[in-house]
Amino acid sequence: MESDHTGHSEFDTLPEAVVKEGKIPISIVWIVPLVALVIGGWLVYRAWSEKGPVITISFKTAQGLEAGKTHIKYKDVTVGRVEKIELSPDLSEVLVRAQLAKATETLLTQGTRFWVVRARLSAGEISGLGTLFSGAYIGMDPGPPGKAERHFTGLEVPPVVTTDLPGAHFTLRADRLSSLDVGSPVYYRQIKVGQVVGYHLEESGKAVIVNIFISAPHHRLVDTNTRFWNAGGLDVALDVSGVRVKTKSIMALLLGGIAFETPTNLEPGKPVEAGHRFTLCANREEIYEKTYAHKFNWLLYFDGSVRGLSPGAPVEFRGIRVGKVLDVNLELDPENGICRIPVLIETTPERFWPAHTEFDASKQKAFMGALVEKGLRARLKTGSLISGKRLVELDLFPAAGMAAIDWSGRYPVLPTLPGPTEEILDSLSRLLVKLERVPIEDISRELKGTLQGANRLVNAAALHESVVAFRETLEEIRALADRLNRTAVPEFRAGMGQLTTAFKRLDTLVQNLNDSSIPALSALLQEAQGTLSDMDRFVSTEASLYQELKGALSEIAGAARAVRVMADYLSRHPEALIYGKGKEQ
Amino acid sequence: MRKPLSIPRTWALLIAAVIFYIPANVLPITTVTSFGSTQSDTILSGVLYFIKTGMWPIAVIIFIASVIVPLAKILILGFLLISVQRRFLGHKRDRTLLYRITEVIGRWSMVDIFVVTILVALVNLGSLASVQVGPAAPFFAAVVVITMAASMQFDPRLIWDAEPPVRKGGAPR
Repeated sequence: MESDHTGHSEFDTLPEAVVKEGKIPISIVWIVPLVALVIGGWLVYRAWSEKGPVITISFKTAQGLEAGKTHIKYKDVTVGRVEKIELSPDLSEVLVRAQLAKATETLLTQGTRFWVVRARLSAGEISGLGTLFSGAYIGMDPGPPGKAERHFTGLEVPPVVTTDLPGAHFTLRADRLSSLDVGSPVYYRQIKVGQVVGYHLEESGKAVIVNIFISAPHHRLVDTNTRFWNAGGLDVALDVSGVRVKTKSIMALLLGGIAFETPTNLEPGKPVEAGHRFTLCANREEIYEKTYAHKFNWLLYFDGSVRGLSPGAPVEFRGIRVGKVLDVNLELDPENGICRIPVLIETTPERFWPAHTEFDASKQKAFMGALVEKGLRARLKTGSLISGKRLVELDLFPAAGMAAIDWSGRYPVLPTLPGPTEEILDSLSRLLVKLERVPIEDISRELKGTLQGANRLVNAAALHESVVAFRETLEEIRALADRLNRTAVPEFRAGMGQLTTAFKRLDTLVQNLNDSSIPALSALLQEAQGTLSDMDRFVSTEASLYQELKGALSEIAGAARAVRVMADYLSRHPEALIYGKGKEQ
Repeated sequence: MRKPLSIPRTWALLIAAVIFYIPANVLPITTVTSFGSTQSDTILSGVLYFIKTGMWPIAVIIFIASVIVPLAKILILGFLLISVQRRFLGHKRDRTLLYRITEVIGRWSMVDIFVVTILVALVNLGSLASVQVGPAAPFFAAVVVITMAASMQFDPRLIWDAEPPVRKGGAPR
């Protein structure tokens, strides 16, 4: 480096680095971060806008649920996830906070139900087995549209049907739950069309209310005249008509079930409104009983034994069921020596009403009174000899004595008659009494006298004489037979002897024939046969006679021919006789 | 001749990388389905899972390659850019060394992407066990690529351009 008068001039000549600035103030590379910003912004926006509602569900236990993992599914589609599980402040329940998808916002109303789906074995169904692998999940059933709700109480048991299934709910009223349970099937003509959804006691505690669900399109089969009955279990009844055992399928046996039908003897009813309550009959026969609104109680007093009559036994009028026995009691009054059995029955008076007129409760008293005057009485009758059950029979007995309804007292009293069994017993006892009065000894004595008379008759003389005459006739017949024996028979026998001899001679003749004639005949035949064979030899073609004859014949034929020719010639040339043949030359 | 528009371009790419880094870590990178149950994992939760199940080496590798390296690259490049623009004078050699390190290790972040690719391809047993790629994977790959581009755009000679102010009329010290 040469030293100069000034040092910085060298530095001045050192080249400066050139930093090239772009012509445009901003380079295009800034597009990259811009794009990144846009993408990032879009991601953020999407995440924020797709954020669905956050709900809280309270369960009794968090078994099977895991924060961050357990899904909430609707129709098996994941619509949300459990984010956090914690205990409630008072430690009584578990609060599950879940994040749902945006689409479920409209589904979260007050009626929405949540439950935990685990593998379950319940009435007739095995469900949720997939959860054994994938873990439990929370099922959701949206409620009817309404006010939005974010806090729910989870169900411990999954509900049977979900509200979005087409169909209809109905309410039945039953005496007893018997074998029904949630999930028990409802049958129509033995096809399952629905199921029991729930049950609870009626407010008064006198009946059980059963809620059923029937799926579309079968729910249209139900109208106001439809009858429901309990079709499950084993139906064994020992009643007036005998023993009856009935059951349906094994499933019905185990789970119970309800069946329904519109009886054919009823015309179709009106469609069912909400809140209509049907009655659940105990079995199929009950549905055919006409249900009448009015029921009337009567009291009957019987003197005899009512063995076989139990509450629930039918009350029949000429075989048609008009009511039933409610109660059988006993009234003993030792002081007065009165003992009678009051039986409380219930009838449906509409049965007795004249046809085609409106039932009027006020006119009933007069009507029944008139019937009793005509002879309406009640009596016991044996329904079935097998079971020994009895029933109360109402009928008109014109021959019955005068009686009237006793309207005093709590229940009106109908007059009664003894039953047919008792009548038989009565007549039997009467017969016995009559028998007793019959004078047996007198009768036997007279019978003896008669016999003796008969005896005398038999030993009488006239009889004797006739017997003797009879004997004589017999003897004559015997003499005749002897004579026949003596005379006719030997002649007959002689004739027989002759016939025998004739046969013997015939026999000998045949014998002779056999011995002599036959051999001669056969010899003759043999000779004839020999002659015939000789003749045969003569006549056969090999015989010389035949040959010679043949030769002779042919000669003769030739001669004849020649003669003929000659004759012809002669006829044409008669001069040939003279001149000979050579003339014409 | 320095690289044209080195600093603005590097800044642009760096900012893009930062923007993409957020979804790369927030969104899940793999979704594992085993026995019907699905589980989505982000990079960090995957690392934690490996630690929990005792697979320490894998956890360490993934942590270094997917978390530390991209973060380090972004921070180093940012620092270098600021140092160049503010004309820092000291530690020029160290800064250049940093830059070299950034350049070299940059590409190794792709290890995570390769791991995910191999998992998806090999673990394909239907509903018994299967792996699907999550939405974070493209964002993470974008981060790696953009940081590599950013470090390529940066001209390290700019580090050496910073000169102490020249005193007029005097020899340099």
